[in-house]
Amino acid sequence: MRYVVAGYVVILTVLFLYAVQLVWRRRRLARAVARVSVADGPPGAPGAGGVS
Amino acid sequence: MTAEPFVTDSATATPAHPPAPSAPKTVVNPPPVQSSRSRAVERVAGVLALVGTVTTVWLGLWVTPPDAAQGDLVRLVYVHPGVAWVALYLAFGLAAVSSVLYLWPRTRSLFWDRLAAAAVEVGVVFNVCTLVSGSIWGKPTWGVWWAWDARLTSTAVLLVLFLGYLALRRVPAEPDVRARRSAFVALFAAVDIPIVHFSVNWWNTLHQGATVLNPGLTLKIHGSMAWTLLLGFVSLTLVFVWMLLVRYRVGVLEDWLDANELGLALAERQSEGSGAPGPAARPVGVA
Amino acid sequence: MHPRTGWLRMWRDAVLVAGKDLRIEARSRVGLSQVAPFGVVALALFAFALGPDRSVMAKGAPGLFWVAVLFCTVLAVQRSVSVESGDGAHDGLRLSGIDPAGLFLGKSVGVAAQLVVLEVVLAVGVVLLYGARVAVPWLIVVSCLLGTIGLAATGTLYGALSAGLRVRETLLPFLLLPIVAPVLLAGTRIWQAAMVGGTPATGTQWLRLLVVFDAVYIAVGVLLFGPIQETA
Repeated sequence: MRYVVAGYVVILTVLFLYAVQLVWRRRRLARAVARVSVADGPPGAPGAGGVS
Repeated sequence: MTAEPFVTDSATATPAHPPAPSAPKTVVNPPPVQSSRSRAVERVAGVLALVGTVTTVWLGLWVTPPDAAQGDLVRLVYVHPGVAWVALYLAFGLAAVSSVLYLWPRTRSLFWDRLAAAAVEVGVVFNVCTLVSGSIWGKPTWGVWWAWDARLTSTAVLLVLFLGYLALRRVPAEPDVRARRSAFVALFAAVDIPIVHFSVNWWNTLHQGATVLNPGLTLKIHGSMAWTLLLGFVSLTLVFVWMLLVRYRVGVLEDWLDANELGLALAERQSEGSGAPGPAARPVGVA
Repeated sequence: MHPRTGWLRMWRDAVLVAGKDLRIEARSRVGLSQVAPFGVVALALFAFALGPDRSVMAKGAPGLFWVAVLFCTVLAVQRSVSVESGDGAHDGLRLSGIDPAGLFLGKSVGVAAQLVVLEVVLAVGVVLLYGARVAVPWLIVVSCLLGTIGLAATGTLYGALSAGLRVRETLLPFLLLPIVAPVLLAGTRIWQAAMVGGTPATGTQWLRLLVVFDAVYIAVGVLLFGPIQETA
């Protein structure tokens, strides 16, 4: 029975850790994208808006 | 993902200093936005996957009875074939089909390339789960942690091929060059895996004098066990779908950043050079 | 393009390219002076690893021969790719209008020719060093020829895919070797069948697998080498 539990634990842990990593990665990237596009500013007045 | 490029030209900001004589225009595309429909699909898939998986675990570990022949080990049957099916057929099949669709001129689109990459990466995770859970099932069943039978060996070879695909993708290159390279590697892997599986099968059965391990899961499943098995397959498929969607989105964001970060950094440097206030200062600690 | 002239052009270009590669090899003698000694060194290392008991080595001789061949294949393919990596030779080859299928066949033949020579050296080494005793020589020869064709074809394909990469040296073996696992399996089994004490009938069954493997990858190469070239 402990083999069974070990099997379940391994599968669930691996999947869970990968899922967490994916969500964290997406969040980090979305923040970077937001920073890059905000800092870029509207055309014609870059920098006129001040600090983001 | 259509984007109209708009131009930032720091020279038009203020005329305090004459603009740099050769200030190249930097082009930055608007950031990619995820449609609300795909967000909804992702959320639904995620919730269903979570509910399904938890239910499968509960049913598999507690509710269902042990098998007459295999005892408690049958409980692994609710999850191991599920992850195996996802890794070996769903993920790999999707990656292969997407790669072909990318290579085919009429359907060529980076969408297929990104989908294939997402499928491969998620497939690697499921593949590792398959090998480890298979090994754990094998130890009490056959007495060994590993057996060189066709299925396990082909799974291991597929893992190595997947890892090769990912390693190749990590090499910096233009998106379409990288896409083409990856697609060919996926295609060759798809061609090779059946041959490998067949050879290893033969290798085992024709081996002179050795005991042949037959890891076939020959057991009758009925009643609550059958439902749990089905639920396991469905839940793990949903887990794959959710992971695929998120990983695809990650790929879209990564590609956009790769394409546009440089343009923005250039714009900042140019505005420094010409003395005009450039794009709004980025907060410290930007990735 | 007229079908017959297409075929003729392919064969003519294949002969041109193969001749070029083999001429370069004849002049530089890299295969003979570096790859072959490496193969022999590998055989010696296997002997050190498996201990002085000759019966163990004789039993393992078929597998060890093919593993040594695989290592030499990686080197030969790397060499085949690097011959064109300097001075824009790669672009020159593409711009010259050479038929891509012919280029694929020509480079494969070049690699295969070198591998055949290496295999002769390694086979002699295995017989002498490990005490392997051959019962059915024609099986050995045919398996080596068919296996070489498969190794050369897949090697050329992956060499072209990784041609432009700086990490080619580490990436190419990792990509190529799992793909050619069936050749290793088949080659080892055929050799075992051809040794004293083996059953030649199983050997001929594995020959069919090698034929299928070769046919598949030659077809893939002939059809897709053009697009593959554009990835470099």
